[in-house]
Amino acid sequence: MKDIARQRMSISVETMDLLNNQIKMEAHASASYLAMASWCDQNAFTQSAAFFYNQSVEERSHMMKIFQFVNDCGGSAMSPAVGETNHDFSSLEEVFETALEQEIQVTKSIHNIVNECKKNNDYNVENFLQWFIVEQLEEEKTMRDILDMFDLIGRDGIALKMIDERVTISEGEGETE
Amino acid sequence: MVLVYKSQFYALYQNDAERCYYLDFGHKTVKFSFCQLLALRHKINSISITSHFDASMNKHGFEVLTLCNKSHLFVFNTLEILDLNQLIQQSLLAVGISIPHNAVACVY
Repeated sequence: MKDIARQRMSISVETMDLLNNQIKMEAHASASYLAMASWCDQNAFTQSAAFFYNQSVEERSHMMKIFQFVNDCGGSAMSPAVGETNHDFSSLEEVFETALEQEIQVTKSIHNIVNECKKNNDYNVENFLQWFIVEQLEEEKTMRDILDMFDLIGRDGIALKMIDERVTISEGEGETE
Repeated sequence: MVLVYKSQFYALYQNDAERCYYLDFGHKTVKFSFCQLLALRHKINSISITSHFDASMNKHGFEVLTLCNKSHLFVFNTLEILDLNQLIQQSLLAVGISIPHNAVACVY
């Protein structure tokens, strides 16, 4: 009996499911950043808005990277449905806190997949995800650096304006591609 | 053709020469490529079995599935869906593309 399944697909179906979940997560993150960009735009934080528009594009590029990888491996990548996205924030600080929390969840999910790949000797996927591990470190650092500015500069009107102006610098640091 | 797995109602066969699979539904046999088999798995996994036990969500307990890029249309009852799910799971294990014991955790 020929090994037709293995000839057709080089990852396990369970790994494929995990990667499809990650695709969904990245799509949700992209939509979430778009909501944050909209909030920043509406509240006159123009640099932060630009930062989140850029983040949204970046998350989508991550999603596409995984999407194409699943199909390249002979799997079946599923176009994700994005559910409800939060558009309500009480402050600029809350926006960045939410962004950091989101990045932490993405990091945990990536680590979980790598962990499963190690258990199942899935070397291809483990190698592929190394790029995401480094990327997530950078993403979390970017958000943390911005949140640190609230402690350093303050949370009143002029301080928020100064933070917003400095977010542009962080945007450059967050660039990966 | 080689039998991959036989469940209570259905059986999956592999055809080496055509590099494809045949799923015997009892009254009808359908040819599946590997991708189409993955698509069937996705459709079955997307079904909420609990809705079959809630009259407000699925009054008659039936599922209508189109298979192989809408080439076939099937109506399944609850038991048949459960059996088909088992057939797909066990078949993927048998052909070595699924991890035994299904010990994969998902964080999402």
